Amino acid sequence: MSDPVVALFMLGLFICFIFLGFPIAFTLMAMAVGFGFYAYYTPAVALWDNNIFFLLVQNTFSVMSNDVLISIPLFLFMGYIIERSNILEKLFVSLQIALRHIPGSMGVAALVTCTLFATATGIVGAVVTLMGLLALPSMLKAGYDKKLSCGIIAAGGTLGILIPPSIMLIVYAATAGVSVVKLYAAALIPGLLLAGLYLVYIVVRVVINPSLAPKVTTADDVDFWKGFKLLLTAFFPLAFLIFAVLGSILFGLATPSEAAAMGALGGIFLSVAYRAFTWDRLREAVYLTSKTSAMVCWLFVGSWTFSSVFSYLGGEGLIAEFVLSMDLSTLQFLIMAQLIIFVLGWPLEWSEIIIIFVPIFLPMLAIFDVDPILFGLLIAINLQTSFLTPPMAMSAYYLKGVAPKGIELWDIFKGCFPFLGMVLLTLVLVYVEPKIVSFLPDLIYSNAAVDNSPLPEGVIDPSFFK
Amino acid sequence: MIGYIRWVDSLSKALGHSFGWCIVMLTMGTCFEVFMRYVLNNPTSWSYDMSYTFYGALFMMSGAYALSKNAHVRGDFLYRKWQPRTQAKVELFLYFVFFLPGILALVITGFFYALQSTSILEVSVNSPAGVPIWPLKIILVVAGLSMLIAGTAEMCRCILCIKSGEWLDRDEDVKELEEILLETYSKEQGAAK
Repeated sequence: MSDPVVALFMLGLFICFIFLGFPIAFTLMAMAVGFGFYAYYTPAVALWDNNIFFLLVQNTFSVMSNDVLISIPLFLFMGYIIERSNILEKLFVSLQIALRHIPGSMGVAALVTCTLFATATGIVGAVVTLMGLLALPSMLKAGYDKKLSCGIIAAGGTLGILIPPSIMLIVYAATAGVSVVKLYAAALIPGLLLAGLYLVYIVVRVVINPSLAPKVTTADDVDFWKGFKLLLTAFFPLAFLIFAVLGSILFGLATPSEAAAMGALGGIFLSVAYRAFTWDRLREAVYLTSKTSAMVCWLFVGSWTFSSVFSYLGGEGLIAEFVLSMDLSTLQFLIMAQLIIFVLGWPLEWSEIIIIFVPIFLPMLAIFDVDPILFGLLIAINLQTSFLTPPMAMSAYYLKGVAPKGIELWDIFKGCFPFLGMVLLTLVLVYVEPKIVSFLPDLIYSNAAVDNSPLPEGVIDPSFFK
Repeated sequence: MIGYIRWVDSLSKALGHSFGWCIVMLTMGTCFEVFMRYVLNNPTSWSYDMSYTFYGALFMMSGAYALSKNAHVRGDFLYRKWQPRTQAKVELFLYFVFFLPGILALVITGFFYALQSTSILEVSVNSPAGVPIWPLKIILVVAGLSMLIAGTAEMCRCILCIKSGEWLDRDEDVKELEEILLETYSKEQGAAK
């Protein structure tokens, strides 16, 4: 067996081993050490001095001192703090009153609440279960169609992994070596576009068929100022926090990790202001942050060594050659890649897909002249589906777990289908008009003025180093 | 054996919980840096090295905690459907084949790596402040060791499960909000019936 074939064998074996259900971080590490031992074996060197051991330790230390991944625990912490700050109910009620003149107002309010809360916390499960307990019963009581209501909550909650500041995008940035800031700028318009499409869909369906969402009359007697005050206390603080975190990243005022730290502090202030801050809640948030960061970051420990060994053996080259021999156009390549990611989304979670499988596609992007940022966005949009389609539809299962009696899993899936259609539409739109993705990064980062003024004495011209 | 498992679990939990507070230090330290830079116009020289030290210590030392709480991701859609006894047999085997070699390699090679760094009291090259980075390299080894210990407890769990046919329950701990909500809801439903 030649080395590249060994690399493919390693990948194939790994995919089989995933199904054994062993924690993937350790499977990756073991495969990397085992095959790396073979790859770096030289008879002249003692067995225990094999380079793979140093590579493993070195890579582990690079994960520990990686400056992109620092944002992950910080954003997780911010999310856990906000999720426990009792803000959701106020948010939903205030939006319901503010939006009461729109057709399907409660549905629209539920969608906006889901989107905003999911954006701030980034924790899909929490949003969906909270909304399932809070919004779903009141929507059903108001006579809303159950499929529509379920679809709104499941799809709205899932948006949290796409709209920045999202942890998934940080993980992609660390894997693909692209700038988090640019990726965030790129994700903003597609994320809002998808949310907007959801919103338009709800309103249009309700206008066509008003029986899906009867008008809610309970809020009619609230006067304007009272409604405004509610918005001021519930909607604006959270919206401002998100805007401040995202804005300071996009305008270059702070690095993503600094913005995340400020966001976490802001979350603590917010929860103090809502009288929801207790030491117990802080402790819970701290412990959950440490558990979840360990889960995500240990995956990197295994996968970096795994992909080092994989490319050292020449696996990347072989796969690239194979794909080239298929003589695909860029469009065909992208469709193939998205189909593979879509299928992987059934059994696997986003963290595994991005950390383990995306690196296989990365070397091919240059061949097909695809921008890694565009590719990342296509994946992020695509992975929305993995939360909503069987057999591993996390959002649907969480919702089913808290849904009132009479709602079957199948109702939830049926409710999600139209929203899946919108995800597909967004994918197509992004492909047809890549400016949706590239517009904002180009706008913010291309017109940096080039300073041609003469350098002060004693300063070396930077072009000297090029 | 159950005593050993409980002891290791509480050790891992104590480690994870205490190093979890790194996130608060990280938040405060980073906010302090932002304050110094924008308000006092006097950025610190140690903030960058501080941030990854806390982050690295946080996630590495929580690895054992996550392991003892079964929080590491698994591709478990087949695994879930097996009998506990089958799960335990497969898992015990895989702890020997997958877990031990990787973690042992990390601990042993990491030990010499950290020893070298500590013997010269290595500092970071990122700034003139000379922030020490040898503690982080020691953490790499200690974290590996704690993983190893937590791994032996998991192996004991497998042996117990092969004997008794069911998994030993895990200690109460903080839970994700969705788990808490799902549990209380299903309890309420049960009570209503």
